[in-house]
Amino acid sequence: MIQPIALEIIVVCLGILLLMVEAFSSKTSKTPLAYAAILGLSVVFVLTFFVQPSAAGLQESGFYVLDPLALFFKRFALVATIVTLVLALDYLPIVQRLVPGERPGAGSGEFFILPVFTCAGLMWMASAADFIVIFCALELVTISLYVQVAYLRRSIASLEAGTKFLILGALSTGFFVYGITWIFGTVGQTGLEAIRQALPGVPEAAQPAMIFGVALVLVAIGFKIAAAPFQFWVPDVYQGAPTPVTAYLAVASKAAGFVILIRVLEPFFTVIAFQEKLFLALVLLAGLTLLFGNLAAIPQTNFKRLMGYSSVAHAGYLLVGLAAIGDAFAGRAVVFYLCGYLLMTFLAFLILVPVSKASGGDDIANFNGLARRSPALALAMLIAAASLAGVPFTVGFFGKFFIFEAAMKQELFGLVLLGVVTVACGFYYYFKVIRAMYWQPASEDAAPVQVSVLSRLAIAICAVLILVLGFYPQLLIQILP
Amino acid sequence: MQLALFWIFSLLMLLFAAGVVLLRNPVSSAMSLVMSFVALAAVFVTLDAYFIAVVQVLVYAGAVMVLFLFIIMLLDLREEKSRRVRLSAWVGGGLVVGGFVSALVQVVSSLPGADSTKPAVSNPEANDVALVGFALFRDFNFPFQIIGVLLLVATVGVVLLSRKELK
Repeated sequence: MIQPIALEIIVVCLGILLLMVEAFSSKTSKTPLAYAAILGLSVVFVLTFFVQPSAAGLQESGFYVLDPLALFFKRFALVATIVTLVLALDYLPIVQRLVPGERPGAGSGEFFILPVFTCAGLMWMASAADFIVIFCALELVTISLYVQVAYLRRSIASLEAGTKFLILGALSTGFFVYGITWIFGTVGQTGLEAIRQALPGVPEAAQPAMIFGVALVLVAIGFKIAAAPFQFWVPDVYQGAPTPVTAYLAVASKAAGFVILIRVLEPFFTVIAFQEKLFLALVLLAGLTLLFGNLAAIPQTNFKRLMGYSSVAHAGYLLVGLAAIGDAFAGRAVVFYLCGYLLMTFLAFLILVPVSKASGGDDIANFNGLARRSPALALAMLIAAASLAGVPFTVGFFGKFFIFEAAMKQELFGLVLLGVVTVACGFYYYFKVIRAMYWQPASEDAAPVQVSVLSRLAIAICAVLILVLGFYPQLLIQILP
Repeated sequence: MQLALFWIFSLLMLLFAAGVVLLRNPVSSAMSLVMSFVALAAVFVTLDAYFIAVVQVLVYAGAVMVLFLFIIMLLDLREEKSRRVRLSAWVGGGLVVGGFVSALVQVVSSLPGADSTKPAVSNPEANDVALVGFALFRDFNFPFQIIGVLLLVATVGVVLLSRKELK
């Protein structure tokens, strides 16, 4: 048995070690760093199985909790980071071209090292049980992501995305801190467990202050999970950021936001006075996010932008699940959806990187004729798009199905209706990609698509898992916290 | 007396903060920010938080602002041209700010202790340097360590984004 806290320490030490190696080695090739990072994170992933989650979970200080949910999301963060590093390896030529360096390859090492630190932040977020720890871990994640988004310094789009992300991220941080101060001012505690105990004793006169604080925190987390109306940074940042970072933002950053949301809202759902108002806020957020994400995705022609709006839409479905949290299965439905979302989003981006390398762009038109240029990739993309849209016999279908089922039991008929209608919108815009691959002729100068061995492996695993879980979702549900 | 001081310094702080946004010359904006920080430090003093007040002046009004001014002068920033802002942006921004302020006013006026001048936590006897030290390095040691990693990442990021030619 190892101490639970050791997991993050190992990840941070791995990051520092890699930084040192990068600084002192004279090698020009930086790929060994990526392999070392992947290997190291895989070892930590194995180590997570030797940590015993405790039922109460709370450590003495009240800062750190290791319940099954936290452990599950630590693994989630590790897997997401490993896949991101695989993506980054494929993306390396573009990084080398767009980063100003004295020699070729200079300055690309940190592209593999920064995600390791982000991973540590994500793991801390999964275990955070105190607003101060949540804040510190969240900032570690966002600040390392600012740097990664703006990494391609010779690309105007990347710099613009970085600036936008920085300014709006700082704004949301401001909301977060302000909300925490109101909550602290009302109950005099920052620990979530202490707040839960103090909540029933909050006098009626102080309740508006509490709700104000929670609302501000909700706004800030809304930024992180890209819920409408706080989504306006998403399209530009997703389009401008390096593709691996876009995938990382879409999956890991969103999932961590949802863990925080679940943890922060939990104490407040135990008190009747707050329950109704929070419930109303969640329903409104979910409805708006569903509508905006799906409708705005329809006219998109750039694939990364499309994925940006699609990630807003998926946040909407997840919020429906959270609004139905009164149902016993809703929590697991949300986690199941997040896992499916990880698989299908990474699959889409794993295919996008080699395709855009071969055809020189991220537009949907760059997928033209992929079925003839590379049938296997086209098939994998077909699976990803079908799952994102929610076609039966894919994991995406069951994700939506479980969430709608929980919402039906909680009698959220309006949201379910909205969800079903917007799923139909989803069919339209995801199938634009499929149409481009199978019914459009390839352009004359399209180069053959080459995929590295690691990517092939990752693509195969994601595609197979999407189908297997689409037929047999119990496989995953059994191990959910 | 205490109430009068509080109002004087908070009004000063708000006025200069508005100046940061409204003034067109970057150097004037930066100087307004210094004044706003100093007024904030004075508000901290009226709350008996002497250590925070001193740190506010030393770190923010001193070190950080000198750096800001350095950068402004080095980059030789000119006066900002006045921009045309669309009507829709005015209306949207006005609605958000108006809604936020009205919610804030409602919440503050509903609070039972809103008219007291001094919070219950203030304690002029306490040695607040020691208290801050214990809080930071003993009670909140765990988040403090996370901040350490955060600073490392920020340093790496600054080097990556600002060096002319990476080695």
